[in-house]
Amino acid sequence: MIDNSPEFRVKRGIGLTLMLVLLAFAAVPTLWVLILSFRAPMAIFQPIWESPLALTLDNFFKITRSNFPSALMNSFITAGLSTAFAMIVGVPAGFALAKARLSGKFVASWVLLLLRMAPPVGFVIPLFLLYVNAGLIDTYMGLVFAYMTLTLPLVTWSMWNSFAQVPDELIEAAIMDDANLMQAFLLIALPAARPGAVAAAILAFLVAWNDFFYALIITRSGTATAPVAVMNFISYDSVDWASIAVASIALTLPILPLMAIANRYIVQSLSGAVKG
Amino acid sequence: MKHLFTAALVSSFALAAPVAPTAAQAEEINVLMFGMPYTVGLAKLADDFEAETGIKANIDVVGQDVFESRITLSFTGGTGDIDVVHTPVIQVQRWIQAGWLQPMTDLVSEETTSDILAGPLGAYDVNGDQWALPFFAGVGLMSYREDLLEAAGAEVPQTWAEMLDVAAKITTDDQAAIALRAVPGQGFNMFIFPMVMRAYGGTFFADYEGGDLTPAINSPENLEALNVYVKLINDYGPAGAGNFNFAEVKAAAENGQVAFTVEGTGIISQLVDPAKSQFADVTGIALPPGGPAGRSPAIGVHGMGIPASAPNPEASARFIEWAVSSETVAKIAMSESFPDFTTASVAQNPEVIAKYAAIHPDFLTMRVAALDLAIGHYRPLIPEWPALGQAIGESVNAAINGLMTPEEALEQADADMRDILGL
Repeated sequence: MIDNSPEFRVKRGIGLTLMLVLLAFAAVPTLWVLILSFRAPMAIFQPIWESPLALTLDNFFKITRSNFPSALMNSFITAGLSTAFAMIVGVPAGFALAKARLSGKFVASWVLLLLRMAPPVGFVIPLFLLYVNAGLIDTYMGLVFAYMTLTLPLVTWSMWNSFAQVPDELIEAAIMDDANLMQAFLLIALPAARPGAVAAAILAFLVAWNDFFYALIITRSGTATAPVAVMNFISYDSVDWASIAVASIALTLPILPLMAIANRYIVQSLSGAVKG
Repeated sequence: MKHLFTAALVSSFALAAPVAPTAAQAEEINVLMFGMPYTVGLAKLADDFEAETGIKANIDVVGQDVFESRITLSFTGGTGDIDVVHTPVIQVQRWIQAGWLQPMTDLVSEETTSDILAGPLGAYDVNGDQWALPFFAGVGLMSYREDLLEAAGAEVPQTWAEMLDVAAKITTDDQAAIALRAVPGQGFNMFIFPMVMRAYGGTFFADYEGGDLTPAINSPENLEALNVYVKLINDYGPAGAGNFNFAEVKAAAENGQVAFTVEGTGIISQLVDPAKSQFADVTGIALPPGGPAGRSPAIGVHGMGIPASAPNPEASARFIEWAVSSETVAKIAMSESFPDFTTASVAQNPEVIAKYAAIHPDFLTMRVAALDLAIGHYRPLIPEWPALGQAIGESVNAAINGLMTPEEALEQADADMRDILGL
């Protein structure tokens, strides 16, 4: 039955207003950046209503002539590889932690959590010194290893939770039907935990994609990622706001389809769904 | 599965190959600079250096924040991954004290140093050693809108007191008079405010040149200067001027929001360039206003030094000599907006003179006049300056934004200075 009482309508009105205010609070900066990216440099600080036609595509062409496109590619390569490696190691690890009868599980869970809790600044100096001596500064592998300190615990924890929701009986039935452990994992448990695996992969990719701190320390001109390259538009006597706006959009666009996919799988993963 | 593992292992080794080989390899150096027209131009000429010397230079030009983070790690770790480092003069004393730089006195030739302006070169001469070679000396200049002055029936102000009068005539509901850097920072409001301070006879210390470093920031002269600075920004500046930095100041001038700015030559040169500012044709240049104690244009010097941990200082010095050579600097002055060179012979280069005269006929003349008036220790050349400048800048900004009265702000700055200096 639909509640049409005045009290309900007032409550709904207040709720909607609050939602719109919060939405505007979140969306206005993004819209502002979008407008900035099309503004002519000389009009960038003018209110849009004073010079609504001072729009240009030059900002987009200009950024293609900078180092930013290669930095964007570096972001794809390092975030992609660190996610892939984290999945290769973290998914079986999560399965083992969820299903094997291991005595050190509790300790393992805390070690993994500690890795996620430790602020990167706490171990950046030893990491930097190690990397300099190992020749890993300004290498893709160096950055991928560093990102795995973020992505691997995330994937392992997430998959531990997902596999824990897969009934033991499914795996036991497979083994009784002569499947070995690898087959039970690959053919039974993993498909059942697919929503969790997709969500874990996407979240891991986003963590690496958005990283600034590791890339700041570990990269140089050869492997600088996009979040670091954005900072290079701020120079001694100028701030290239138009390029920063375009770069911010370029950094956000690849995330949108991922977020659309992630949304569905994260909800499924959190609600405890396993593919039956 | 076995093939997959092998492929992953092989690709791991391939990925671990450095994209830019490290400086440990012979005849290859890593140069770390932050973004300025000169450094951007220099990076484009890296192949010229390799062709001339056979040494490959990896010139990394980054944002200032990125630069600070990287040098801090490299210097404190003594890693030797940087062979040549951008060295602002205001940092050099602190870096020397911390043991982060190595002297280059015996590594650079007399022929090179004799072609560099004496003032900027001397700023890097500490305890009898040369610690860096300068490539940039930016000085403070004033830009003004000729049309707005004419409409207000006012002359170009020669003193800060006259500036207050002219600003009052120009300011209307739709037109602000002046934009000045106000955000706290030794390179932000403390690049501008000392011009007012020194014009009124104010100083940071009781007798800097005589070696008496007792803070004198709360003097009556400094208070008078701070009152003028606060009034100009709050009463005659655009909305939000209390938190303007150079980018907002430049934008305000470019958009015609203000009639005056007092800024470094790097920004003033863009305001009078028709290619960059819509009001360039009605913008004039003058020396910054003075006061009872004369004029003291701001000065900022940047150079290149060799980190203490650099493994191949001879190659580093060779790069620096090439980078400040007449030929290299002239190329950059022509390709970029870079009138702030410190290589003396470039000022005689007809092409360079013609380029900047075409942008504005008075520009190079005014720059030389301001350089003549500027004092090397405009901002004190002591290791504690970065911390002192930050602390004083915060108090000055608090006065602008009404968090303290000017008297309270200077008392707070005095207390902070004593704390930092351990007095």
